[in-house]
Amino acid sequence: MSDHTRFEELVLPHLNAAYNLARWLTRDVNDAEDVVQDACVRALKYVGSLHGGGARAWFLTIVRHAFYDWCKRNRPAEIVRDDGTAIDMAVDPAAVDPEQAFLRSAESKALADAVAALPLAYREVLILREMEELSYKEIARIADIPIGTVMSRLARARGLLQHSPLLQAAN
Amino acid sequence: MNCKQAETMVAAHADGEVDALRSYSIKQHLLGCAGCAASYQSVLELRARIRAEVPYFVASPALHARVRATVGAVRASMPPRSHPTSDRWRWLTGGVLAGCTASVFAWMLGTTVLAWRANEDFAVAAVATHVRATLSDHLIEVASSDRHTVKPWLSARLDYSPPVQDLANEGFPLIGGRLDYLERRPVATLVYRYHQHTIDVFVRPETSSAATSAARTLRGFNVAQASGPSMDWLAVSDAEPAVLSAFVQRLAREDVVQ
Repeated sequence: MSDHTRFEELVLPHLNAAYNLARWLTRDVNDAEDVVQDACVRALKYVGSLHGGGARAWFLTIVRHAFYDWCKRNRPAEIVRDDGTAIDMAVDPAAVDPEQAFLRSAESKALADAVAALPLAYREVLILREMEELSYKEIARIADIPIGTVMSRLARARGLLQHSPLLQAAN
Repeated sequence: MNCKQAETMVAAHADGEVDALRSYSIKQHLLGCAGCAASYQSVLELRARIRAEVPYFVASPALHARVRATVGAVRASMPPRSHPTSDRWRWLTGGVLAGCTASVFAWMLGTTVLAWRANEDFAVAAVATHVRATLSDHLIEVASSDRHTVKPWLSARLDYSPPVQDLANEGFPLIGGRLDYLERRPVATLVYRYHQHTIDVFVRPETSSAATSAARTLRGFNVAQASGPSMDWLAVSDAEPAVLSAFVQRLAREDVVQ
């Protein structure tokens, strides 16, 4: 099977998953499309090394790498801010304009806003677990962190969402 | 299990990441502990809300087109690997392939039905053996809670060596083993105790594709089955179905330290 056929059969079916992840990581329509496009070029290059199952997790790993490379070029501050103690901030100030958040929460989008406002490291594990329904093991592999870290980040992400000021404002 | 132990496992349990036997202990704990039950509920509720309220973004047709165009462009820049074959050959190979697929499918269907049938017969025979052993008080031929005694005794009498684990610390002490004769071949039977119940575990060196781990009832006894990496495990007992299927899945992991 040629690489192109493999790409079409194994990778393309997961284009929506790739886009959804990129969209939640970049929080922007156009940036997400650029990241997915880049990820597809990389996937096509390495699809020969993809064996057996797990194509979705494999592709999402590439999407995540493509995102971080894109992020380093375009939003270096976001990675720096997520690296260390500042990670405990409940709301990423770059993400949400409070006034706008208030207006949107009135349209019952409060939870979506709260997810978008999570710090990057928490947001990615939450999306992979709750939207892609991947196992801890797969998430650990994709995000390149130990399973214990997956669990603690997931717990933190859930805690932040449950106590998010954006959700309190909606109630 | 106490709250301290349950605390870290509640979220993992809600995520389906806890193995059957421990998830049984957690479920028991949640029944009796309002605090842990509430934090378990909150994970499930948050999940339901995320699924209902947080959009899953779907790639636009424009992005599909863009990806295909890029892939096409990369392909055009690479030399073709194979020469196009003539139409006649394509039809011929297509026909041959379709024929092969149909035969393989029919064969698979047939073997699946046969395997299921054989599995069912084995379960019935296992229940009969369990009843006979219990009635005649011939439950155990090698009485020992030491797997290093039971395993060699069985290996010496069989053409395979079943993994033997003592799960006393998980509530299932090993009390011994015996040799049974089922479906025209000798089979290793491990005998465990769970509270007042006796559990017979029949271990065979095959991985049955028809194996299901959900417990069911045959002539009033509960039967649970699971396939491990090298053995097929079938447990018969009057213990609760949930306990039995968790237990047999635990055994089937075969992760015994030799």
